[in-house]
Amino acid sequence: MNKIIMLTAALVMVLGLTWGGVALATPQADQAIWQSYYQKRFPNVPKEDFINGVYAIDPVSRESWEAIEEFPPYEMAISQGEKMWNTPFANGKTYRDCFPNGPAIAGKYPYWDKERGMVVTLPLAINECREANGEGPLKYKKGPIADILSYLRYQSRGQLTKVEIPEDDPKALEAYEKGKQFYFARRGQLNFSCANCHVQNPGNLLRSDILSPALGHTTHFPVYRSKWGEIGTLHRRFSGCNKQVRAKPFKVQGEEYRNLEYFLTYMQNGLPLNGPGARK
Amino acid sequence: MRTHHFSAGILVAALAAGLPTGSWADDQADFEKAMTAAREARKKAATVGGEWRDIGKFLKQAEQAAAKGDFATANQLAEKARRQGELGYEQAMSQKDVGLPAYMIAGSK
Repeated sequence: MNKIIMLTAALVMVLGLTWGGVALATPQADQAIWQSYYQKRFPNVPKEDFINGVYAIDPVSRESWEAIEEFPPYEMAISQGEKMWNTPFANGKTYRDCFPNGPAIAGKYPYWDKERGMVVTLPLAINECREANGEGPLKYKKGPIADILSYLRYQSRGQLTKVEIPEDDPKALEAYEKGKQFYFARRGQLNFSCANCHVQNPGNLLRSDILSPALGHTTHFPVYRSKWGEIGTLHRRFSGCNKQVRAKPFKVQGEEYRNLEYFLTYMQNGLPLNGPGARK
Repeated sequence: MRTHHFSAGILVAALAAGLPTGSWADDQADFEKAMTAAREARKKAATVGGEWRDIGKFLKQAEQAAAKGDFATANQLAEKARRQGELGYEQAMSQKDVGLPAYMIAGSK
């Protein structure tokens, strides 16, 4: 009898069906649960408005955010990034030689590189372009990398998030699963996971701040954070969150955060890109 | 009696010369042992991605305290680092199979 139950369960899992009405854990099923969860939790928020983070669910802070957006604090970064895009490297080539479809290329990232067996993010691709052309890599958290990302993301506004997990490469699914595990794993002395704040408690207060829903979290980076007083990247935010729960942060653009970005961005599939953004 | 005088003489000479006495050497050895245990616990936690933020800071502070001869503080910090390393490892192992939580699945329906 046990063997029959186990075989049936295995068959159901392989076919990606449901078990007792609960969707089994395929990326597609995860994504459907993820997006539905937030829409059910905040039924008055249109799905596309989740790209505005906490401002989608808190009308008071939205007022001040909209006022900030009238004179966006990330404008200088966009201009600086445009200058970088158009300035030739020492060898005479430019970023366009690496990204012929640029500058509106952000919707393509992150993606699974089958040949290299790894997730490639846009900042990583930018630095690989630089190094291929004899330039030094940029630091990944802030500064010039945030400038050029601001320009590329600004040019890509409106593109839909469309991360793919190729079914013909189990390593891609493995990277996704690692990113998912990272997101839901409690860590640090405070024993918090990313999900404890942004899945379990969006809309609730953490000290004086309202926690944002994770739906839409990747669409608006890089962001100008008032707390930082400057533009920063998504991995800088990952690192900061880990530090806040008193976990040792991982290397930015290392495998852990790239897999995390892969999972988290996949969860936002279908949402338009709106970076760069401004946040508290 | 002569032996006592002789021992005391050696102790005074050792102190004057700044050489480690038995007690200091013991304290140092205990501290080194505590630090080795803490470093190992930290390394083990790191192998599973479970290192906590402040372990490195505690180890550094422990070394500074030991350098000043404050072994009580140094050992306390080393012990704290070791304990955090062990807890970080246990925490990471307990979380290695987590996925979408039940409340999220239930809340999506």
